[in-house]
Amino acid sequence: MGLASGELAVTPRGLGCVLVVEDEFLIRMLLADELRDVGYQVIEAVNADEALEVLRGVTPDAIISDVRMPGSMDGIGLLAAVRQSSPNLPVIMMSAHADPADFVAAGANQFLSKPFRMGAIVEAVRRELDTAP
Amino acid sequence: VSVNTSGAPTSASILIVDADILSRHAIANYLRHCGYAVVEAANTDEAFFALKEPTLSIDVIVADIATLPSAEGFELATWVRQNRPELEVKLAGGVERAANVAAELCKVGPHLKRPFEPEAVIDYVKRLRATRAPSIAAQDLQT
Repeated sequence: MGLASGELAVTPRGLGCVLVVEDEFLIRMLLADELRDVGYQVIEAVNADEALEVLRGVTPDAIISDVRMPGSMDGIGLLAAVRQSSPNLPVIMMSAHADPADFVAAGANQFLSKPFRMGAIVEAVRRELDTAP
Repeated sequence: VSVNTSGAPTSASILIVDADILSRHAIANYLRHCGYAVVEAANTDEAFFALKEPTLSIDVIVADIATLPSAEGFELATWVRQNRPELEVKLAGGVERAANVAAELCKVGPHLKRPFEPEAVIDYVKRLRATRAPSIAAQDLQT
């Protein structure tokens, strides 16, 4: 049985736990810092494989994922896997090369088209978690 | 907390280099909890990127060489010694050592306190690893 985000023994939960899945180092770091700055706990995964590794043991409150990523699975595959195991877990997809309607049809709660301003990621998470600092 | 757009370095930070997501995020969050700014790198390519990025200010590197491909941790340490000798490099070989390194950093860190004992970090990572495939979980239990 996995750990719920509230059981994270080594970190405070803050406003909620967000799993950020992005292979580009600088973008991942900027997104994570933006979310941490307003009070969310963030787990940074470099690809879908790492995200699934986390999800086996931790249930975050929301996932933000890139679409195109190296590894055995891209963001679409990750979305499908999450929808199978956690149908109600908010998933926000982001990409520079995709049609938003495709992702909403596939089960994404929101889609952010790259490039987007940094504040947009916090607004998107707040919409899902109904949280405000 | 660790990057700005003005080109000037911000507050000091620790670079965690660890290819294992479970220990990387646990060690990084432990260090954040005691007041450090932390940059997470999942491999040495990302570590080199962070070290060469002028907007990042890195003071200490904690690299878990047990999770990195053979020789990459030492390559990183050698590069730092030659190119950034002012940086402190701490090589750890597993989550236990990494957690203890983090605890030592927290003792002398910006808030001069440890948030909790490093054993809590180790136990947390082991609990998460137990959710992995049985063969990997068994290896963890032996360490």
